[in-house]
Amino acid sequence: MKFGQLPYLLRQGLLNIINNRVVHLIGIVTMVVSMLIFGTFLILFVNLNTWLHGIGSSLSMSVYLQDEISEQNKNNIKDFLSELPNVEIKRFISKETALKELKRSLRTHSDLLGGLSSNPLPASFELVFKKIKDQKIQPQKIKEEILKMEGVEDVQYSDEWLKRLEVIMNTVELIGFIIAGLLCMGILLIVTNTIKLTIYSRKEEIEIMKLVGATDWFIKIPFLIEGTLQGILSGILALAILFSGYILISSKNMGILAFALLDFTFLPQEYLFLIFFISTALGFIGSFIATGRFISIERFFSV
Amino acid sequence: MNDINFRASEGEFIFLTGPSGAGKTTLLRLIFGSEKPSSGHIVINGVNLSRISRRKLDLLRRKMGFIFQDFKLLPRKTVFENVALALEIKGETRRFIRKKTHQSLRMVGLADKEKAYPLSLSGGEQQRVAIARAIVNDPLILLADEPTGNLDPDLTKEIIMLFRRVHAKGTTILVATHSQELLRTPAERTIVLNHGKIVTEK
Repeated sequence: MKFGQLPYLLRQGLLNIINNRVVHLIGIVTMVVSMLIFGTFLILFVNLNTWLHGIGSSLSMSVYLQDEISEQNKNNIKDFLSELPNVEIKRFISKETALKELKRSLRTHSDLLGGLSSNPLPASFELVFKKIKDQKIQPQKIKEEILKMEGVEDVQYSDEWLKRLEVIMNTVELIGFIIAGLLCMGILLIVTNTIKLTIYSRKEEIEIMKLVGATDWFIKIPFLIEGTLQGILSGILALAILFSGYILISSKNMGILAFALLDFTFLPQEYLFLIFFISTALGFIGSFIATGRFISIERFFSV
Repeated sequence: MNDINFRASEGEFIFLTGPSGAGKTTLLRLIFGSEKPSSGHIVINGVNLSRISRRKLDLLRRKMGFIFQDFKLLPRKTVFENVALALEIKGETRRFIRKKTHQSLRMVGLADKEKAYPLSLSGGEQQRVAIARAIVNDPLILLADEPTGNLDPDLTKEIIMLFRRVHAKGTTILVATHSQELLRTPAERTIVLNHGKIVTEK
C-alpha cells in the first residue's frame, strides 16, 4: 500500500457505489429510516428529560416548626436553609398566616374553623429547589439534614411523585438502549449485506486483481470506503430529515406546547455528533465484517 | 499429479502438452501458487512456494504473467484500463502507468484500440489485450493455459509470434496446449504429460 494509491482506491469505492446504486439506495434508505427512529427517540427522550427536570425543580418542600420554638432556633434554621446550595426559601408562613390561608381556601365553609379555641397549624418555611447544572437534586438527603435541626417538627415534600418520575425516566432510558441496540444490529446487517452484494458483483474483477498480484488490502479498501461512505451519507440524510421534521412539527404544534408551557427543543450538538458518528462507524464496521470474509471468498475464487 | 520433476532455466520456451485431464492446468496453477502441492516443493526465482505467505505470493505474482483460454478481461473497463490494472495495483505513478501501458499495447499491435471495450473486439484481439496485461510488468515468467483454445489457426499463428517476441526479451515462457498448430512451431522444449505424470521430454 502506497499513499499515492489512495485516489485510485477512493475512485474505486465511488465507482462501486455508482455501479451498485440500486443496492446502495435500498441500503441507505433502510439505514436512514433506522437512524430516524433512533433520532426521534432521542429527541423525545431529551425533551421529556428537560420537562420532567423542570417539574422536579419546581417541587417545593415545607419545613414545619414546633409551636414552642425559640427565636434563636428559628433563626438558626433560617440560616441553615439559606445556605443549602439547591434550595431557596420562598417564604415564611407564620401560624396566623397559615390559618388565614386555610380559611381562604375553605371559603364558604370557613366557619367550620370558628370552633377552634387555639390555632392548630404550625408555622413553616416554604422552600423551592433550584436546579444547578449537572447536579441531581436529592430531596431525601436534604430532608434528613433539616430534620436534625432543633425546633423542626416535620419536613414534607412530594417524594413519591419524584421517585415515580425517576423510575419512568429510567425505564424510558432502558427501552431507548434496547431499541438503539437492536437498530444498530439491524444497520450492521444491512451494511454487511450491501457490501457483500457489491463484492459478489465484482467477483470477476477481484479474481483478476488477485491474478495480477493485488494484495488483500488493495482489494478490501474500496469496499471499506464504500461502506463508510454509505454510513456518512445515511447519517447526514437522517440528520437533515430529522431537522426538517422538527421544524415542521414545532411550527405547527407550537400552540399546544406553548399552552403547556413547555419548550420543544432540537437535539443538542453532542447528540447530533453521536448520530453521525454511530452511522459512520456502523458503515465502516459493516464493510469490515463483509471484507473479513475474503478469506473464504478467496478459496471460492481459487486464485 | 505425482512424480513431477523439472527445472526451467531463465529464458526458456517450454510447451506443456498431453490429453485433457493430464494435469497441464494443475501444473500451471501450482507454479502460479493458486494451488499448493500436497508434498514436494516448487521454487520460483529462489522463492519456495510451499512456505510463502499470502502477501509474498501476491508480490511474487507481479513478476508472473498468466494468460487464459477465456482471456479474463473486465468487460466494463476499456482496453487501456484492463492492461493498466496490473500496474495500478502496484501503486505506480500515473505517468509511468500510461507509458508502460502504451508500450505494452503497441507490442501486441493494439495501440489504436485502447479506448475500446473488450467485448467489441475479436477473440484474437481480446487475447492480445490479455497478453499485453500479462507482459506490462515485464514478468520473469509467462504462463499460458490453452491461449489459442478459442481462436482459429490464423490467429493462433499470430499469438505464437507474439510469444516469440516476448521470449526474445528474455522472459521464460510456459505454454500449456494440445493445439497441433502450436506444437508444430519449433520450441526449445516440450513436456508431455499424461495421468499427472511426465511421459516424455524433448
